[in-house]
Amino acid sequence: MNVQVDHHDKVLVARVEGRVDSSNSQDFERQLQGAIGEDVQAVVVDLGQLAYISSAGLRVVLLVAKTLGQRNVSISLCALSDPVQSVFEISGFNRIIQIYDTQADALAAAG
Amino acid sequence: MSANLQLRVPNRIEELPGVSEAVEALGREEGWTQDVTYAIVLGLEEVATNVVRHGGGEPGSSEIEIEVTSSDDEVRIEVRDSGKAFDPFHEAPEPDLDAEVQDRQIGGLGVHFVKVLMDETSYSREGGRNHVSMVKRRS
Repeated sequence: MNVQVDHHDKVLVARVEGRVDSSNSQDFERQLQGAIGEDVQAVVVDLGQLAYISSAGLRVVLLVAKTLGQRNVSISLCALSDPVQSVFEISGFNRIIQIYDTQADALAAAG
Repeated sequence: MSANLQLRVPNRIEELPGVSEAVEALGREEGWTQDVTYAIVLGLEEVATNVVRHGGGEPGSSEIEIEVTSSDDEVRIEVRDSGKAFDPFHEAPEPDLDAEVQDRQIGGLGVHFVKVLMDETSYSREGGRNHVSMVKRRS
Protein backbone atom coordinates (compact mmCIF):
# COMPACT_ATOMS: atom_id res chain seq x y z
CA MET A 1 0.00 0.00 0.00
CA ASN A 2 1.23 3.44 -0.86
CA VAL A 3 -0.25 6.95 -0.86
CA GLN A 4 0.99 9.38 -3.56
CA VAL A 5 0.11 13.03 -3.20
CA ASP A 6 -0.37 15.78 -5.83
CA HIS A 7 -1.52 19.34 -5.25
CA HIS A 8 -3.90 21.08 -7.65
CA ASP A 9 -3.98 24.61 -6.18
CA LYS A 10 -5.76 24.18 -2.82
CA VAL A 11 -7.05 20.71 -3.71
CA LEU A 12 -4.98 17.78 -2.51
CA VAL A 13 -5.21 14.57 -4.51
CA ALA A 14 -4.16 11.40 -2.64
CA ARG A 15 -3.73 8.35 -4.87
CA VAL A 16 -3.94 5.11 -2.92
CA GLU A 17 -2.22 2.10 -4.48
CA GLY A 18 -2.29 -1.56 -3.54
CA ARG A 19 -4.20 -3.17 -0.68
CA VAL A 20 -5.51 -1.75 2.59
CA ASP A 21 -6.35 -4.38 5.20
CA SER A 22 -6.20 -4.85 8.96
CA SER A 23 -2.42 -5.38 8.82
CA ASN A 24 -1.58 -1.99 7.27
CA SER A 25 -4.56 0.27 8.03
CA GLN A 26 -2.60 2.17 10.70
CA ASP A 27 0.10 2.92 8.16
CA PHE A 28 -2.63 3.99 5.71
CA GLU A 29 -4.04 6.36 8.34
CA ARG A 30 -0.59 7.84 9.06
CA GLN A 31 0.16 8.36 5.36
CA LEU A 32 -3.23 9.86 4.55
CA GLN A 33 -3.47 12.13 7.61
CA GLY A 34 0.17 13.12 7.18
CA ALA A 35 -0.42 14.16 3.57
CA ILE A 36 -3.19 16.63 4.40
CA GLY A 37 -1.67 20.01 5.20
CA GLU A 38 -3.25 22.95 6.98
CA ASP A 39 -3.87 25.06 3.87
CA VAL A 40 -5.86 22.42 1.98
CA GLN A 41 -9.43 23.37 1.03
CA ALA A 42 -10.53 20.06 -0.49
CA VAL A 43 -9.26 16.49 -0.60
CA VAL A 44 -9.82 14.05 -3.46
CA VAL A 45 -8.89 10.45 -2.70
CA ASP A 46 -8.22 8.61 -5.96
CA LEU A 47 -8.81 4.88 -5.45
CA GLY A 48 -8.17 3.87 -9.08
CA GLN A 49 -5.12 1.80 -8.12
CA LEU A 50 -6.63 0.37 -4.94
CA ALA A 51 -7.00 -3.38 -5.43
CA TYR A 52 -8.59 -4.23 -2.10
CA ILE A 53 -9.97 -2.58 1.03
CA SER A 54 -11.60 -4.11 4.10
CA SER A 55 -13.49 -2.58 7.04
CA ALA A 56 -10.15 -1.60 8.62
CA GLY A 57 -9.44 0.68 5.66
CA LEU A 58 -12.99 2.05 5.57
CA ARG A 59 -12.57 2.99 9.21
CA VAL A 60 -9.61 5.17 8.21
CA VAL A 61 -11.59 6.81 5.38
CA LEU A 62 -14.36 7.60 7.87
CA LEU A 63 -11.91 8.98 10.46
CA VAL A 64 -10.29 11.23 7.85
CA ALA A 65 -13.74 12.38 6.61
CA LYS A 66 -14.72 13.25 10.19
CA THR A 67 -11.49 15.18 10.82
CA LEU A 68 -11.84 17.12 7.58
CA GLY A 69 -15.54 17.77 8.19
CA GLN A 70 -14.70 19.45 11.49
CA ARG A 71 -12.30 21.73 9.56
CA ASN A 72 -14.89 22.40 6.83
CA VAL A 73 -12.62 20.74 4.27
CA SER A 74 -14.51 18.72 1.67
CA ILE A 75 -13.53 15.14 0.82
CA SER A 76 -14.49 13.04 -2.15
CA LEU A 77 -13.46 9.71 -3.63
CA CYS A 78 -12.98 8.78 -7.27
CA ALA A 79 -12.18 6.02 -9.78
CA LEU A 80 -13.29 3.08 -7.63
CA SER A 81 -13.06 -0.38 -9.20
CA ASP A 82 -16.30 -2.38 -9.20
CA PRO A 83 -15.49 -4.55 -6.14
CA VAL A 84 -14.24 -1.53 -4.14
CA GLN A 85 -17.37 0.40 -5.15
CA SER A 86 -19.46 -2.53 -3.85
CA VAL A 87 -17.78 -2.40 -0.46
CA PHE A 88 -18.44 1.35 -0.17
CA GLU A 89 -22.09 0.77 -1.12
CA ILE A 90 -22.57 -2.09 1.37
CA SER A 91 -21.10 0.11 4.11
CA GLY A 92 -23.44 2.99 3.21
CA PHE A 93 -20.39 5.27 2.84
CA ASN A 94 -21.48 6.14 -0.71
CA ARG A 95 -24.36 8.06 0.89
CA ILE A 96 -22.17 10.14 3.21
CA ILE A 97 -19.05 10.67 1.06
CA GLN A 98 -19.26 11.96 -2.52
CA ILE A 99 -17.94 9.45 -5.09
CA TYR A 100 -17.01 10.41 -8.67
CA ASP A 101 -16.26 8.21 -11.67
CA THR A 102 -13.03 10.01 -12.56
CA GLN A 103 -10.43 12.21 -10.90
CA ALA A 104 -11.28 14.96 -13.43
CA ASP A 105 -14.92 14.92 -12.29
CA ALA A 106 -13.86 15.05 -8.64
CA LEU A 107 -11.45 17.95 -9.29
CA ALA A 108 -14.08 19.87 -11.23
CA ALA A 109 -16.50 19.54 -8.31
CA ALA A 110 -13.82 20.36 -5.71
CA GLY A 111 -12.32 23.33 -7.57
CA MET B 1 -14.01 -31.44 -8.81
CA SER B 2 -13.07 -29.77 -5.58
CA ALA B 3 -9.91 -28.25 -4.13
CA ASN B 4 -9.09 -27.76 -0.50
CA LEU B 5 -6.77 -25.37 1.34
CA GLN B 6 -5.95 -25.82 5.02
CA LEU B 7 -3.95 -23.28 6.99
CA ARG B 8 -2.99 -22.91 10.63
CA VAL B 9 -1.69 -19.48 11.56
CA PRO B 10 -0.82 -17.81 14.88
CA ASN B 11 -3.46 -15.32 16.12
CA ARG B 12 -1.57 -12.27 14.85
CA ILE B 13 -2.81 -9.60 12.42
CA GLU B 14 0.52 -9.78 10.53
CA GLU B 15 -0.29 -13.37 9.52
CA LEU B 16 -3.45 -12.40 7.65
CA PRO B 17 -1.97 -11.02 4.39
CA GLY B 18 -0.33 -14.42 3.87
CA VAL B 19 -3.73 -16.06 4.30
CA SER B 20 -5.22 -13.70 1.70
CA GLU B 21 -2.41 -14.55 -0.75
CA ALA B 22 -2.93 -18.28 -0.33
CA VAL B 23 -6.69 -17.96 -0.81
CA GLU B 24 -6.24 -15.79 -3.91
CA ALA B 25 -3.87 -18.40 -5.35
CA LEU B 26 -6.54 -21.07 -4.81
CA GLY B 27 -9.07 -18.79 -6.50
CA ARG B 28 -6.84 -18.41 -9.56
CA GLU B 29 -6.40 -22.18 -9.84
CA GLU B 30 -10.14 -22.72 -9.46
CA GLY B 31 -11.19 -19.90 -11.77
CA TRP B 32 -13.20 -17.84 -9.27
CA THR B 33 -14.61 -14.57 -10.59
CA GLN B 34 -13.19 -11.29 -9.28
CA ASP B 35 -16.33 -10.70 -7.18
CA VAL B 36 -16.22 -14.19 -5.61
CA THR B 37 -12.51 -13.83 -4.82
CA TYR B 38 -13.03 -10.40 -3.24
CA ALA B 39 -15.95 -11.64 -1.12
CA ILE B 40 -14.02 -14.66 0.16
CA VAL B 41 -10.78 -12.80 0.92
CA LEU B 42 -12.76 -10.03 2.65
CA GLY B 43 -14.99 -12.40 4.62
CA LEU B 44 -12.00 -14.36 5.83
CA GLU B 45 -10.03 -11.25 6.78
CA GLU B 46 -12.96 -9.79 8.73
CA VAL B 47 -13.62 -13.00 10.65
CA ALA B 48 -9.94 -13.68 11.37
CA THR B 49 -9.35 -10.05 12.42
CA ASN B 50 -12.24 -10.38 14.89
CA VAL B 51 -10.67 -13.55 16.28
CA VAL B 52 -7.33 -11.79 16.84
CA ARG B 53 -8.85 -8.60 18.27
CA HIS B 54 -11.64 -10.08 20.40
CA GLY B 55 -10.54 -13.65 21.09
CA GLY B 56 -8.54 -12.72 24.16
CA GLY B 57 -5.04 -14.05 24.77
CA GLU B 58 -1.77 -12.52 23.65
CA PRO B 59 -1.07 -12.28 19.91
CA GLY B 60 0.74 -15.44 18.82
CA SER B 61 -0.45 -17.43 21.86
CA SER B 62 -2.94 -19.59 19.94
CA GLU B 63 -3.72 -20.69 16.40
CA ILE B 64 -6.49 -19.99 13.95
CA GLU B 65 -7.45 -22.92 11.73
CA ILE B 66 -8.73 -22.03 8.30
CA GLU B 67 -10.15 -24.38 5.70
CA VAL B 68 -11.35 -23.29 2.28
CA THR B 69 -13.05 -25.83 0.01
CA SER B 70 -13.81 -24.86 -3.57
CA SER B 71 -16.23 -26.92 -5.62
CA ASP B 72 -17.93 -26.25 -8.95
CA ASP B 73 -20.86 -24.33 -7.52
CA GLU B 74 -19.70 -22.93 -4.17
CA VAL B 75 -16.79 -22.08 -1.88
CA ARG B 76 -17.01 -23.11 1.76
CA ILE B 77 -14.89 -21.38 4.42
CA GLU B 78 -14.40 -22.70 7.96
CA VAL B 79 -12.60 -20.75 10.69
CA ARG B 80 -11.89 -22.33 14.06
CA ASP B 81 -10.13 -20.84 17.09
CA SER B 82 -9.78 -21.53 20.79
CA GLY B 83 -10.40 -17.93 21.95
CA LYS B 84 -13.23 -16.93 24.22
CA ALA B 85 -16.75 -17.68 22.98
CA PHE B 86 -17.85 -15.00 20.51
CA ASP B 87 -20.64 -15.24 17.95
CA PRO B 88 -19.83 -12.47 15.47
CA PHE B 89 -23.20 -12.78 13.72
CA HIS B 90 -25.20 -12.00 16.84
CA GLU B 91 -22.84 -10.27 19.27
CA ALA B 92 -21.16 -7.70 17.02
CA PRO B 93 -22.87 -4.28 16.99
CA GLU B 94 -25.16 -3.50 14.04
CA PRO B 95 -23.77 -0.56 12.04
CA ASP B 96 -26.07 2.45 11.53
CA LEU B 97 -25.84 2.70 7.75
CA ASP B 98 -27.87 5.91 7.62
CA ALA B 99 -25.88 8.05 10.08
CA GLU B 100 -24.16 11.20 8.80
CA VAL B 101 -20.35 11.38 8.67
CA GLN B 102 -19.88 12.98 12.10
CA ASP B 103 -22.25 10.53 13.83
CA ARG B 104 -21.23 7.39 12.01
CA GLN B 105 -19.64 4.66 14.16
CA ILE B 106 -17.35 2.08 12.60
CA GLY B 107 -18.13 -0.92 14.80
CA GLY B 108 -19.69 -3.99 13.25
CA LEU B 109 -18.91 -3.07 9.67
CA GLY B 110 -16.71 -6.11 9.05
CA VAL B 111 -19.41 -8.52 10.20
CA HIS B 112 -21.98 -6.60 8.14
CA PHE B 113 -19.80 -7.19 5.04
CA VAL B 114 -19.70 -10.91 5.79
CA LYS B 115 -23.48 -11.12 6.21
CA VAL B 116 -24.13 -9.25 2.96
CA LEU B 117 -21.45 -10.86 0.77
CA MET B 118 -21.84 -14.48 1.88
CA ASP B 119 -24.77 -16.69 0.94
CA GLU B 120 -24.71 -18.64 4.21
CA THR B 121 -23.12 -17.94 7.58
CA SER B 122 -23.22 -19.86 10.84
CA TYR B 123 -21.51 -19.92 14.21
CA SER B 124 -21.19 -22.69 16.76
CA ARG B 125 -19.18 -23.34 19.90
CA GLU B 126 -17.75 -26.86 19.82
CA GLY B 127 -15.47 -28.38 22.45
CA GLY B 128 -14.33 -25.00 23.77
CA ARG B 129 -13.66 -23.63 20.28
CA ASN B 130 -15.40 -21.10 18.07
CA HIS B 131 -16.41 -22.34 14.64
CA VAL B 132 -17.48 -19.84 11.98
CA SER B 133 -18.73 -21.26 8.71
CA MET B 134 -19.38 -19.27 5.51
CA VAL B 135 -20.55 -20.31 2.05
CA LYS B 136 -20.22 -18.26 -1.13
CA ARG B 137 -21.99 -19.52 -4.24
CA ARG B 138 -20.02 -19.09 -7.44
CA SER B 139 -22.92 -17.87 -9.55
